[in-house]
This record gives sequence, C-alpha cells and structure tokens, in this order.
Amino acid sequence: MKTSLPSLQLLFIRVDSYLPDIFLSTDTSQVDFYSRIYLHPFYKMKTNTVIRWMSLLSIWMWTGEGQIFQPELTSNAFLAKVTSNTVILKQPYCVFNQTCPGCEIWLVAGLCSAKGTFDALVNSSTPNILSLSPYPTAFNPSSNNFFLTRVGLLSDFPCNQNPNDQYFVVGADGICSGVNCNGVLPDGSTVCFKYLLIDANGTLVNSSDWSGNITLPKLLALNTISDGLSARSGAMVVITTILCVAAALLLLLFLIMLCVTCCTKKDGKKISVMNSIRIPRYDTHNLKERVHPYDNPAYQPDLKNYSTSSTLPRDGARKL
Amino acid sequence: MGAGAVTCLMFVVVALNAIAAAAGLALFAVAIWVAVDGYKLYPISGVSGKDDIFAAAWIAIFTGFAFFLTCIFGIFAALKRSRALMLVYLIIMFIIFLFECASAITAATNRDYLVGNSNFVKKQMLQYYGQDSTQGKQITQTWNRVMEQVECCGADSPEDWMLYNSTLKQIYPTYNWPLSCCKRLSTFELQNPAGCKVGLTSTLFTKGCFNYIESVLSRYTWAVSWYGFSVLMLVVSLDVF
Repeated sequence: MKTSLPSLQLLFIRVDSYLPDIFLSTDTSQVDFYSRIYLHPFYKMKTNTVIRWMSLLSIWMWTGEGQIFQPELTSNAFLAKVTSNTVILKQPYCVFNQTCPGCEIWLVAGLCSAKGTFDALVNSSTPNILSLSPYPTAFNPSSNNFFLTRVGLLSDFPCNQNPNDQYFVVGADGICSGVNCNGVLPDGSTVCFKYLLIDANGTLVNSSDWSGNITLPKLLALNTISDGLSARSGAMVVITTILCVAAALLLLLFLIMLCVTCCTKKDGKKISVMNSIRIPRYDTHNLKERVHPYDNPAYQPDLKNYSTSSTLPRDGARKL
Repeated sequence: MGAGAVTCLMFVVVALNAIAAAAGLALFAVAIWVAVDGYKLYPISGVSGKDDIFAAAWIAIFTGFAFFLTCIFGIFAALKRSRALMLVYLIIMFIIFLFECASAITAATNRDYLVGNSNFVKKQMLQYYGQDSTQGKQITQTWNRVMEQVECCGADSPEDWMLYNSTLKQIYPTYNWPLSCCKRLSTFELQNPAGCKVGLTSTLFTKGCFNYIESVLSRYTWAVSWYGFSVLMLVVSLDVF
C-alpha cells in the first residue's frame, strides 16, 4: 500500500515554511546586502518560481533517496551480484514506513511464475504464512515454488539511514534443511522477490510490490568446454618442417656419400697399380681403339721408370 | 686437392666440432633446468597425462650429452684423418640428430595442446580443484600457490568459477570461488572475508592465471625446442662440411 501521497503534501508545507527562513537574517550587514537583492523587482518576481523549483527538487531528492516499494538488486558492482543460484539485494531500508513494534521484515523468494500462487494464498488468509512452503520441498515439481526467509527487525531498517554498502544475500545458507532457511534458488530460473511485514504473532501486516524479473544464468556443464587442440602455433610448424627437411637432406647426403665410397672402391680393384712382376696382360674385352682400360694415363710417365717397353703393351688395342 | 685446402678443411671441421660440443653441453644444462621444473607447474601437465614437454626435456638431456661426446670423438677422428672413424662419427651424429628432432617437435606440439588457449587449463582446474583424489590434491596445491603468488584467480577471471559447474561448487556451494582468490594481509589473514565472498573487486584478484601458466610452459618449450633446433642446424652445417 502506497503511503507516498500524504507525505508529499507534508513535503510541500515543509518546503514552503523553510524558504522564508533561509532568506531572513538578523545580521544587519547581511540584511542590508540581502535587502538590496530582495527589494530588486526582478528578484521579487523570481521568488515564486524559485519556491516552485526548490519544492520539485526536494520531491525528486525524496523519491530517489530510498523510498523503495519493492526489493531491488544492490547498486554495488559486486562480481557475484547475480550468480546461477544466489542473488544480492539491497537491504530493506525505508520500505515500510509504519511504526510496528516487534515487527519483522521477511522476504518471499520464488519463481516469477509463482507470484499468483502466493498472492492467492495470502488473500485467502491462511493462518500461518511463515510455514506455507518450507524450503527443502519448495522447488519440487508439484510444490509452491517459493519460500520465505527472515531478513531482520523493522527497527533495524529505519528511514533516515540508507547505507549503500549494506546488502542481503539470498541463498547464503546453501542447501539447507530448515523451514525458513535462506537456501539457494533453482539454477537458471527467473526469480521474483517481495518483502512482507510480519508482526510478533506471525500475522501479515503489510507487503511491498513484487520485484522485477531477475533471470539467473544457467550453470554450464564442464563437458561444454572443448579442450581439444585449438590451433598450431607458427613456431611449431616452422620447427617441424625445417627439421624434417634437414633430416631428409642429411639422410640423402649420407646415402650419396655411402654410394660414392662404395662405388670408387669397386673400380679400384680393376685398376692394377704398377708392380715389378712382369705378367702378361690379356685383353678380355672387345675394345675399340681409343679406350685404354689397363693403362692409367696418370701413371704413364712412370712406365719408363719401372719397365721396359718390350715387355708391356703400350695400349690394349695393338695386341702382341 | 692441395694440402693447404685439406688442412683448412680439417681446421674448420675441428672448430665446428668444438663449437658443437659446447652447444651440446649447454643443451644438456638447459634440459636439466626444464626437467627440474623450478616453477613447479608439472601437475598441470602431468595430471592429464600430457607431460610430453618434460619427456622431451629428458630426451634432450641425453642427446645433449651425447652430442658433446660425439663431437669430441669427431675432433679426434678429424685429427687422425681416418675415413672409417669419420664414417662412424657421421652415423652416430645422424642417429642423435633424429632423437633430438623428435624431442624438439614433441615439445612444440605438446605446448600447443596444453596452452594454445585457456580451455584445457580451465577445464582441468574446474574438474580437479578441491577433489579428494591424489590428482585433485596436486592440482589444488599448484593452483593455490599460483593464485597466491601471482595474485590472480581462475583461468581467465573469477567468472570462470561462476559460469561453470565445478567440483568446488559441489563440495562448498556457498563459496563462489576459492579463498586463495582473496587478497591477504602480510600476516596471511584475509583482508576482507565478507567482501571477497560477494565479489567486491577491491578485495579479490580479478586477473586470470592463464597468462602466467602459458608463459612458463612456453618458456620451457622454447628452451628445449628452439635451442635444440639451433644445435641441429649447427650439426647440419657441420655434416655438410
């Protein structure tokens, strides 16, 4: 139930009674200074508009100051303001303006789809609201989908204070088993909140509006993180290709070298170095004139030193 | 071939062998540094069985030392001018070359798998942090140390703990992230336990730990991989001579 209208009228009266006091002063020097201003015709015309603007300003300040009628998210930039199963709300300063000794403020937390259910239950004036929907079974499939939890005494949240650094965590008790414990909300649901004013006997005195819809993010499962190979870095590609190419090159070089050493050794067996034993040498191949397989031209000059020309053939073509 | 050219060639070969021996010894030392794991991040690769960076470091220890010995043998063979010894030297060098190739390629490839992006590290952290198994304890210890020393939380940010289901959330449902994420005083007490629990940004670390982990594992990998690569290029130039 809104209590704003009577207080607005009160506000008007108060502001109007304030303003003349501000401008009146008992100090004579100040009076002289001000009288010069006040008695200026332009200023006299302006005072009415000034009064109007100041009263409007005061109204805006008043409504922005903390007269909230519904639960709201905290204005601090907490990282965990809205998690998958908890919510951080402002504390209920100045929600209920009436004096009610021993009254307590309770919070109704539930799925937004259960707003109608709760309102209907309250209107049908059930005797004990507080045990309507105990927390452990509150969010079962066929249950009421809301629960009530205690926030604090009404006297702890007066209107003249509104510290912004205070907060109330819905879900602070984790998965608990009490009837009215502050348990976690269902993962990923859309939740709405409402404040209730309950007196010492357990009867409902007043209630605020429902809050706006607050959607909780759904908790993602671990297997949604794909931890396969993401990308190959450039360095890895460079190292792999250059090393493989180098290994192949080395192998090739190695094989070529092996081939070269093996082949030259085989040819060497055929060439007979000059020796002192004079043996006839036979031509076993059908050769043309120009080829000299048994004479090594590099050692030709040594022929004269080591043998007489009559015993050894000069070239294989001219047979003995 | 003139005698001068042969002497010059032999001098070059001996000099290159000496340089390669020194490089092999340095590779041996660097690979020991990687295997010892001064940053104590082995569990991050070991728990999931992908510790090939450290396996490559072990191979590099052996090949580095083998390079050193073989190059000294090569100097000896070059001075003796024996063809058979040079052949043996080249064969041994080629075998060690192949092993070092394997080590360098393994280290580089495994690094891409582990820290190419933050998914692998993040998933492992969410799965094993707080778990009661041996792997869980190792991961918990490693992450606690990293988060406290490097002043970071989670893989990319504390939001990792809130977005995904994790072992920590199952065991401690009221805690949004581990206490190691909170800023501490010099007496190791928490600076502001209530503020850290709700996420007041001045009371907890908001940057992610992935950059640090990635830089350390990359440092290990490039030590083994690039250094091995440079030693191998030296050996290739040696063999061509």
